[in-house]
Amino acid sequence: MTISKLLVANRGEIAARVLRTAKARGLATAVLRHATEQEGPAHLIADEVVTIDGPTPVAAYLDISQIVAAATKIGADAVHPGYGFLSENAAFVAALEEAGVTFVGPTSQTIDLMGDKVRARAFVEERGFPVAPSAIEDDDPASFVERARAVGYPLLIKPSAGGGGKGMRVVREDSTLETEIETARREGERYFGDGRLFVERYIERPRHIEVQVMGDGQGNVVHFWERECSIQRRFQKIIEETPSPALTPEQRDEICETAAGIARAVKYRGAGTVEFIYAQDGAFYFLEMNTRLQVEHPVTELVTGFDLVAEQLRVAAGKGLSAVQADIPQTGHSIELRICAEDATADFRPAIGDIRLLDEPQGEGVRVDSGILDGGKVTTDFDPMLSKLIVHGPDRAQAIARARNAVQNYVILGVTTNTGYLDAILAHPDFASGDVSTGFLAEQSETLTAPGEDVSDLLMAAAALSDARLVSDVMQIPEMYRKMGGWRN
Amino acid sequence: MQRIFQIDGEETDCWLGHDGSRFVLNTPTGAVACQLDPTGLPGGYTLRAKGVVRELRLVVGPEATFVHMDGRTYEVGRVDPAERLAGSDGGASDDRLVAPMPGVVVSVAVKPGDAVEEGQPLLVIESMKLETTLTAPRDGVVAEMPFAEGDSFGLKDILAQLAPEEE
Repeated sequence: MTISKLLVANRGEIAARVLRTAKARGLATAVLRHATEQEGPAHLIADEVVTIDGPTPVAAYLDISQIVAAATKIGADAVHPGYGFLSENAAFVAALEEAGVTFVGPTSQTIDLMGDKVRARAFVEERGFPVAPSAIEDDDPASFVERARAVGYPLLIKPSAGGGGKGMRVVREDSTLETEIETARREGERYFGDGRLFVERYIERPRHIEVQVMGDGQGNVVHFWERECSIQRRFQKIIEETPSPALTPEQRDEICETAAGIARAVKYRGAGTVEFIYAQDGAFYFLEMNTRLQVEHPVTELVTGFDLVAEQLRVAAGKGLSAVQADIPQTGHSIELRICAEDATADFRPAIGDIRLLDEPQGEGVRVDSGILDGGKVTTDFDPMLSKLIVHGPDRAQAIARARNAVQNYVILGVTTNTGYLDAILAHPDFASGDVSTGFLAEQSETLTAPGEDVSDLLMAAAALSDARLVSDVMQIPEMYRKMGGWRN
Repeated sequence: MQRIFQIDGEETDCWLGHDGSRFVLNTPTGAVACQLDPTGLPGGYTLRAKGVVRELRLVVGPEATFVHMDGRTYEVGRVDPAERLAGSDGGASDDRLVAPMPGVVVSVAVKPGDAVEEGQPLLVIESMKLETTLTAPRDGVVAEMPFAEGDSFGLKDILAQLAPEEE
């Protein structure tokens, strides 16, 4: 089977990134665009842009029948889902199969299994892989609260059908357990249409370590090493790196082999990520498997030299894996920063505005996967992530230095972004020493958002002199009065 | 001419003048002679002020000036003193719950006329796909609950209003 025309059923930076590889491999390419959506880099790269509509832009990107119809209409023989939207939707995969279009990803059965945290966890546990102490509501709803108590505090409540931190609640005291369960249930019902819950022991000061895997669907699986993603706000990652500074070479082999073993157990097809929670004592537990390309996949590409989208397309075309494990190196160090339109000093409130000036950093070891164009508008229609800055260096210290230099030179003006906040994280001594956990940003929030050196006089001078109306008003005052400079007129 | 600038939430009253040869920005802490010249780059300027020279990039937005200087991006809010006077409504800030971001009302726990205690849940909202319970900022009586369950609201909309405190 060959793939000759690829539709990317996504938008933003990931659509642009997938399209670049597809084009370089000689495929005809197409991408979606909602009628009200700003033009982005993906629309300039794709050979064809298919307009979709829906009550909201997000709804259009979730509209299975419309997207399958679009693929058929333009004669696409494969669809790449990117991440988010329909990338882990088994019904979408089934609908494409029925229409005779190849889905670049795993089977609908794998998506179903791994998409249900409860089943996924049971599957992994039954095969002897490590999972954290837990209680599953479905096992016996009547005794759920009791069994949750038995897991011990602190504990974490999660919706069975959840993902991305939505609906997750940490409970530290027995007195709040029952109200938190009800809140989590409502959130689960609203976001996933499924109020079933499970709880697990909350590991104090955990690290988030995940492993990139790739399978051919026949039981052959290789891993592309780990990524550490402990730098999270609101349970969402904003800085990722590889290798993890926490692992010894032995631990690295163990966690990577465990991930590959889990993927082998499901005869995994395509690119996937096995996520683990890593305790301070070195123990690690299966968290979940994401059956798609991850946002942070570029760090893996920079240390291994592999193009993971090219690997995905190869597997989807039935050509198998391009490498055996011994051929996959982990060279140097890579860090990714997620550039988001948000105000880090105001609880990461999403920001909107017009991008009035965009100047992205360049240079050795610097890669920018961008979803924005100069002159674009940032709205609340989609996720606040604008682009990703990925750097590579010979070692971690040099990668950090390169990342700091690049993020400092990332000029996005007209909308509030988190570039200064990201730089403050990179500059933090605990980040430099690698002594972090998923609670790092919350624990250090004051330090990380503290104002720097007071340059307000310079800023006000710049703001005053660039204010055309103010300058013109000043110059129209008769010279004598201007000179008086009447402060407190 | 007067301007109020806002940096990191702090407002500063300034007065820009010209002494015949250069601009002078008068701030509460002193007078700053300053000069801003364009460079070749888009939005690029050289700023001379307080005896220092800085290369910067800037754009003037509708409400704020965005400045990239020494590897950091700053936002300088500009407030027109005339608008400031027109906009003030005199209400005490702890009478209101103002929406921290746009969202949807999940449930409403109280109605106008209800007596509430500080910390008592007033309503549950959902923003950024997370539920948040908003509680009474002080003891008092509910004056207004402008939004019902299922309603959408915008940034800075008033979600709950308490009756003014009687002294």
